[in-house]
Amino acid sequence: MKMDVEEHAREAGVELTDAENELYDRQIRLWGLESQKRLRTANILISGLNGLGAEITKNIILSGVNLVKLHDDKLVTEEDFCSQFLASRESLGNNRAEASLTRARALNPMVDISADTQPLSEKNADFFGQFDVVVINGASNEELLRIDTICRELGIKFFATDVWGMFGFHYAGLQKHSYVENVIKYKVISKPNEKVKYETVSTPVQREVEYPSYSNWLEFNINAPNYQRKLKRDGPGIILLRVLQNFRSTYKRDPNYKTRLADIALLEQIRDELVPNSALSSDTLGLLFAQISPAVAVVGGVVAQEIIKVVTKMEAPHRNLFIFNPETCMGYVEQIGVH
Amino acid sequence: MAAAIDGVLPATLQELVKKSKVLVVGAGGIGCEVLKNLVLSGFTDIEIIDLDTIDLSNLNRQFLFHREHVGKSKARVARESALSFNPDANITAYHDSVTSTDYGVNFFKKFDVVLSALDNRAARNHVNRMCLNADVPLIESGTSGYNGQVELIKRGLTQCYECTPKEKQRSFPGCTIRNTPSEPIHCIVWAKHLFNQLFGESVEDEDISPDAADPEAQEAAAEVKDPGAAGDAPDGLKEKETEPATANGNIVRINTRQWAKDCNYDAGKLFNKFFNEDINYLLRMSNLWKSRKAPVPVQWDTLLVDGAGSKGPELARQTHKIWSLEECAHVFANALKELSAAFLKLEGNDTLVWDKDDQPAMDFVAACANVRSHIFDIERKSRFEIKSMAGNIIPAIATTNAITAGISVLRAFSVLQAKWEQCKAVYARLRLNGRNQFLVPDAFFPAPNPNCYVCASDPAITLRIDTKRVQIKAFRDEVLIKTLNMVNPDVTVESTGSILISSEEGETECNEQKLLSDMNIVDGVILKCDDFFQSYELSIIISHFDAERDDVLFEVIADKNQLQPKEEKPEEPEAEPSSRKRAANGNDATDDGPSTSKRSRPTEVEDDDDDCLVVEDDDDAEEKVQESVEDTVAAATNKLTVDCPQKTATKRKPSKTLDDEDVEDITEILDSSDEEVVGPTKCKRTKLEETRAGEVINID
Repeated sequence: MKMDVEEHAREAGVELTDAENELYDRQIRLWGLESQKRLRTANILISGLNGLGAEITKNIILSGVNLVKLHDDKLVTEEDFCSQFLASRESLGNNRAEASLTRARALNPMVDISADTQPLSEKNADFFGQFDVVVINGASNEELLRIDTICRELGIKFFATDVWGMFGFHYAGLQKHSYVENVIKYKVISKPNEKVKYETVSTPVQREVEYPSYSNWLEFNINAPNYQRKLKRDGPGIILLRVLQNFRSTYKRDPNYKTRLADIALLEQIRDELVPNSALSSDTLGLLFAQISPAVAVVGGVVAQEIIKVVTKMEAPHRNLFIFNPETCMGYVEQIGVH
Repeated sequence: MAAAIDGVLPATLQELVKKSKVLVVGAGGIGCEVLKNLVLSGFTDIEIIDLDTIDLSNLNRQFLFHREHVGKSKARVARESALSFNPDANITAYHDSVTSTDYGVNFFKKFDVVLSALDNRAARNHVNRMCLNADVPLIESGTSGYNGQVELIKRGLTQCYECTPKEKQRSFPGCTIRNTPSEPIHCIVWAKHLFNQLFGESVEDEDISPDAADPEAQEAAAEVKDPGAAGDAPDGLKEKETEPATANGNIVRINTRQWAKDCNYDAGKLFNKFFNEDINYLLRMSNLWKSRKAPVPVQWDTLLVDGAGSKGPELARQTHKIWSLEECAHVFANALKELSAAFLKLEGNDTLVWDKDDQPAMDFVAACANVRSHIFDIERKSRFEIKSMAGNIIPAIATTNAITAGISVLRAFSVLQAKWEQCKAVYARLRLNGRNQFLVPDAFFPAPNPNCYVCASDPAITLRIDTKRVQIKAFRDEVLIKTLNMVNPDVTVESTGSILISSEEGETECNEQKLLSDMNIVDGVILKCDDFFQSYELSIIISHFDAERDDVLFEVIADKNQLQPKEEKPEEPEAEPSSRKRAANGNDATDDGPSTSKRSRPTEVEDDDDDCLVVEDDDDAEEKVQESVEDTVAAATNKLTVDCPQKTATKRKPSKTLDDEDVEDITEILDSSDEEVVGPTKCKRTKLEETRAGEVINID
């Protein structure tokens, strides 16, 4: 199957142990031994240990990567108990990354897991350079742009992601990414006078795709006339993302349940300034507080699956902006800055 | 605990979450995730039921369980772990089967919503009926690899789980298994049968010896009919050939087990019998090899000149390697030693149960299947691959389960708020559809099937059945219980009111061994079936047919329009790659066709065999619609347990009444209730069906 597929020297010759084969049996049956070996060498940074961070962490640790760094300088609050299941009730007021360590390690003793509590703004290229994939959650657009730029220089795969209440997104900055995709074709196997029967033939194909930088999203004009038809079709999720990021940079915080009504009014104000007469309803703005567990599970599942795709170099990662609409449960991908 | 904090959720939803009572059926991959989402969202009144215990291979995704929990009850450990996330929740855990009569309609009526995260069709069918009867909304979910689905089932609003016919399990004609295998799966099924012949529960339809009654081999069979002429007939053959009943082709049926025991399970003797003598016997059925490559028998002594050493255990651990023939022999010898020792320790009539996770049992099947494959020039497989096929393992990953469970609980929010328009089915896929979606909600609720034999107002089915060959007991066990998923049916004959089958123990035992035709259950008779526990009544219209050899003995036809003689075997549905569905959302599960045929639920979808096809769309001139190929292969029977002897869908007529009729001999590949059985994994994909990929049956 790997005939015309590039060889990766780093993984060559590394056999999984019996214990690994047994633990990862069901997923090896899906993505194959080679992918599992690649996962085992991967080092992942997860910055922002809120509910979303916890979900991504859980899924990535379960998949059997080499190392996960949990990074956060914030403390556990009551709000975290809406979805941050790695921090116990007793850890209220402690650092979120450190509070997550015990349960994170219990998920898979074979993964090297540690915490880092230094503020993100103090982290530079030396820090990010230790990882294969960097996932940043809960940061400002300025920070995201800074880290994306560092990652582009170092060739590190970058994900920005967030969930507000039930709404979420991720942005993939993967630079040049090559992967293998299995292309399925049908082959007629019946004889001419028989009923037509087919056999599927799966051929691995190597592809290479360019992922634009995060700056493309910051510069993206959602009011551009040629975008309006698409906006109508896919719904106002992308407007909502803009509104929320705008709220974060304006007020240096996210909408807060303690000031629910006032914050909905602020969101409405931003909405009307950004995109007058948009389809973004005020009902939807009522779903944006704290992080609601099932929605976080969806977005965290998607982001973790993207990390797995990137690490295993199997299947196309979403290019490049993923939006989850919690009311319809539609998850779709918008191409930003892709030509 | 979102609902416990004012301002987090909208007020109406907050109240509903706080006061609603929720049932989670299944504490596996989806169930663990669902339970976490529920307690964190602030549900405080939760019950969870699962009969399973924790296995090591669960731990890569069922994250409420850790290594120290292996062997413990899933429901109970899940409860404990979830309580640590939210100590304010009240969770009741049942380590039990949801189909137990302890959980009747009144049990289900307690709940505001039921979230099902099951791994097998029978339990899904049952929960479907209980929720329909209790009129409780059911959110049904499943995953298979990268694919997931969530759908609401609500009486009067949506299709029920049984509105669409199920994918049939693939079955293989007996003579393919016994005489003329051509695919690895044939050899794997044969090897599992061999296991049962030697150590397992003896199942009539699982013979492994050459089938002399193979119609294709008739002349050849005649040649060897005289045991004197066949002087070199294998040991086991001789005795049987003196019996007149060999017309059924089963040469060594009962005696294989005794013979092996008498040989002290000598690896060389057994090996030569199965892989040399029996193959030589097959070779004498020369008709079989006129258009096929003839098998090449192998010999123990030439293979292992020095006998089997101690290499077996080490080789058996090389699960990804394709063993050489000699290596297979080593593994065979070692597995045989362990299995026979275990078997001889059993008391009375106890037997071993084949289990894919039992090392020697799996080694034995892998080795035997590969030796047989070698003999018939079929591709050999690694132990890892054979385990997938023999154990019907569906691959499962944490991310798909998390996504699916998340959608399931979001749908529960909508259900509690009665926002039904927001409850359309959702499908998770690996690849984007033509609208760049990979979490794809249906565009509309497919209408309930007016002919559904479960949720229609007066449900009825037509049953094509060979009334001259099916006994009342088999009719009850195979048709009513196994196929129609009743639990404890009562059956009366409509025209006379006489009781054919009673749910009261012993009441109709005298009928059990009689054939349907003996009881005047013939073409055109209508039977009234009533399952009190499920509150399910069904009329069955009998349509007699004379089954051919290798036909299954009955077929349920839910839609009367489908009642036509069929040329095709049911397990080989016609490939229709050209039929294009109008997929409103670029979603392959929505269709405009008759609701009876296309939206087949249990599609055992594997991986993501998506193919891009071009169809027209309302806003874009062309859009790609993903179409999945489903794997129609469902591999061999899993776990032939002593407790459930009725594992085959066909019953052979007792041999004393055989006369000159053709004998039917089908190897039916069946579902079982094990976690992974619902679908195939690594089976070779050979068939292309209609786009049914929208549906995934879980798994877990």
